[in-house]
Amino acid sequence: MQLGPIDVEFLLQILPLLLKGAILTVELTLLAIFFGTIIGLFVALAKISRFKVLAITGGIYTWMIRGIPLLVQLYILYFGLPQVGIELSAHTAAVAGLSICGGAYIAEIIRAGIQSIDKGQMEAALSLGMSYAQAFRRVILPQAYRRLLPPMGNEFITLMKDSSLVSIITMTELLRQGKLLSNSTFRSMEIFLTVAAIYLFLTTIFICLIGRLEKRLAISDGD
Amino acid sequence: MIQAHNINKWFGSLHVLKDVSLTVNPGEVVVIIGPSGSGKSTFLRCLNYLEPINDGYIVVDGRQVGKKKTAGGRLVDDSRKNIYRLRSTIGMVFQQFNLFPHQTALENVMEGPVTVCKTAVSEARKKAELMLEKVGLADKADAYPIQLSGGQKQRVAIARALAMQPKAMLFDEPTSALDPELVGGVLAVIKDLAREGMTMVVVSHEMGFAREVADRVIFMDNGSIVEESSPQQIFTSPQHPRTREFLSKILG
Ligand SMILES: Nc1ncnc2c1ncn2[C@@H]1O[C@H](COP(=O)(O)OP(=O)(O)O)[C@@H](O)[C@H]1O
Ligand SMILES: [Mg+2]
Repeated sequence: MQLGPIDVEFLLQILPLLLKGAILTVELTLLAIFFGTIIGLFVALAKISRFKVLAITGGIYTWMIRGIPLLVQLYILYFGLPQVGIELSAHTAAVAGLSICGGAYIAEIIRAGIQSIDKGQMEAALSLGMSYAQAFRRVILPQAYRRLLPPMGNEFITLMKDSSLVSIITMTELLRQGKLLSNSTFRSMEIFLTVAAIYLFLTTIFICLIGRLEKRLAISDGD
Repeated sequence: MIQAHNINKWFGSLHVLKDVSLTVNPGEVVVIIGPSGSGKSTFLRCLNYLEPINDGYIVVDGRQVGKKKTAGGRLVDDSRKNIYRLRSTIGMVFQQFNLFPHQTALENVMEGPVTVCKTAVSEARKKAELMLEKVGLADKADAYPIQLSGGQKQRVAIARALAMQPKAMLFDEPTSALDPELVGGVLAVIKDLAREGMTMVVVSHEMGFAREVADRVIFMDNGSIVEESSPQQIFTSPQHPRTREFLSKILG
């Protein structure tokens, strides 16, 4: 059966393989979100810390990671490190690369979110006798959290799209699966249109999930 | 209760507090007046170490703020724990209320006891309900700050500070951000506290209030205490020309 330029039977044949790749894409994205958020939180706290050493270290981290292409970072992690005796599997290098990179952007988002909270909130918390840590946990972060969601959502979607870059370090995720198929069948148009559709489908689901979370938080905040 | 001795404070090259000395005895109410930028807020913030001072010293409830004596008798910076403890014994109320917007009125009032004093939640809730009742807002326990008027917010903020059972209270222009018709309700709560014998330092330009509850009124200008006397004295026959000038401006 033909649908315009697209051969539907061929499409059904390749779909299982592409979906397998898509599952790896989702897995890599979720891992990168998880570790990237943890890294981002610590780097953000370091950057706004009163301790100069921490603040400077955090600053250097975000400056370097955001200033070097992710592709180059992946090359260093996967092809460069073995030269100094550190061999990472492709999977580990991929997750590390995406997390380290995502972490830098997430750190900036969290830092901006924290600094957007009125200074009076910290003062009120401290005046009750809270420590800085308590004030952050109980007062600042719960408020920053809600403002963070929209930019974090964007970053998560960027991570999902950027995960296609790890195809060059032999991770057979969605894009590489498509590339392999097109190498063996020479039907690039059908294949890459399908790959594109799957990415679009995945990012749309992400957007919807984050939208829901935002609504739920807005309700629990009473406004 | 509170003694400030020759406090000096700089923000960079800006000398905001100049040899400020003040003693507040237990149960006393001191009202501070003065033009904007004269250092009133900064002075209050030094009293609970929200701002460190550069020179002089402050004693609250027998302990020097921000310093402690070593075994050898030397003064060193106090531990953070002691600073947190000091702050928990002094309640502070802000011009902009600074309620926690993600918590209900009741949760705001419970926050200090639960997080700082590790009071059990059920007990803190009971206490918080009593505090809200005291400020006349028992029916607003489950309201979020955004659902409250300015006057109600400020009364919740007072209840939040009182929930820590402070030994003294600091008020920084508690009614300046309020619509005129809401000022009375907040002042009534503060007057009640005065009657109960709470030690208080109140920055406020509400003259009627100052006349009624202040034991002393202090006029601050340009980082210094210019005049200090009873409310009758300062409002009817101010001694210093700058006090006179300021009062004639705000009394119209
Ligand atoms: N954190 C700060 N950094 C620098 N300058 C400040 C800061 N806080 C207050 N100031 C300055 O100190 C002076 C006194 O301010 P403030 O204590 O707020 O006065 P008041 O409460 O009497 O209006 C003002 O000139 C103000 O601009
Ligand atoms: Mg002020």
